[in-house]
Amino acid sequence: MALKRAIHRGISFLAARIPALADKLVDSFHPMSLDDVPWTKVAKPLEESRFAIVTTAGVHHRDQPPFDMADKNGDPSFRILDAETIETDYTITHDYYDHKDARNDLNVVLPLARLREMVAAGCIGAVAQQHISFMGHIDGLHVQTLIHETAPEAAALLKKNGVDAVLLTPA
Amino acid sequence: MGLIQRAIEEIGIPTVSVSIVREYTEKVKPPRAVYLRWPFGHPFGEPGNVNQQAAVLGKVLEVFLTSNIPGEIVDLGWRWRRESYPEALWLSDPPRCKGSDPAPLKK
Repeated sequence: MALKRAIHRGISFLAARIPALADKLVDSFHPMSLDDVPWTKVAKPLEESRFAIVTTAGVHHRDQPPFDMADKNGDPSFRILDAETIETDYTITHDYYDHKDARNDLNVVLPLARLREMVAAGCIGAVAQQHISFMGHIDGLHVQTLIHETAPEAAALLKKNGVDAVLLTPA
Repeated sequence: MGLIQRAIEEIGIPTVSVSIVREYTEKVKPPRAVYLRWPFGHPFGEPGNVNQQAAVLGKVLEVFLTSNIPGEIVDLGWRWRRESYPEALWLSDPPRCKGSDPAPLKK
């Protein structure tokens, strides 16, 4: 298992530096192809809107269970991130991209400091207290778990928290 | 990520995402996306580059507010490590909130 994870991390390290390898990895994954597009109108002015971030970069607090890297189909679960503490208390569990830069500056994948600047300038209303993190490598049967269970659960949590707008960031 | 974005939009919260793999976004069809052909793990750019991160956020919010074509993917065309990003207007002259485009980096 340790060897398999080391191989995945090695490939991720190289893919961040060799665009042709990154293109090959992109080609090897076949996401679901959908026809319709869900749509909710932006009804509230930005300066009154509460923003939350949902990332698939595998970020989580240190005391939360890490994402499952042993399952080749990934892990469809999510972690709730506390806006007040996440920047000083985080780690990243995700073997499928090189997260050296995200470890140095979380804003590269979770731009909370940039959102706060916009709140301070009066451009957006507020930054939510809770944000959500998934680990983006989800395949096989876990895709159904994501669609029917964990993604709707995350959406319901955002709704309950009075979030008006969501920014999604990949790994 | 697109599947999660769709679930949030379906519950009635408008969303916008940053895509770094256009092919995936075209297939999954989230409601609004900004595309940057940047390396994995860098949707908002380089560590410590506040102006770059703010520039992406400014454009993302602009697309969030103005896009009225479901499934639209706005290609920013900003090249990795070859652009110079001005300070965001909301940092230098608040409350001006519009995002700015970068200029080619001078060698």
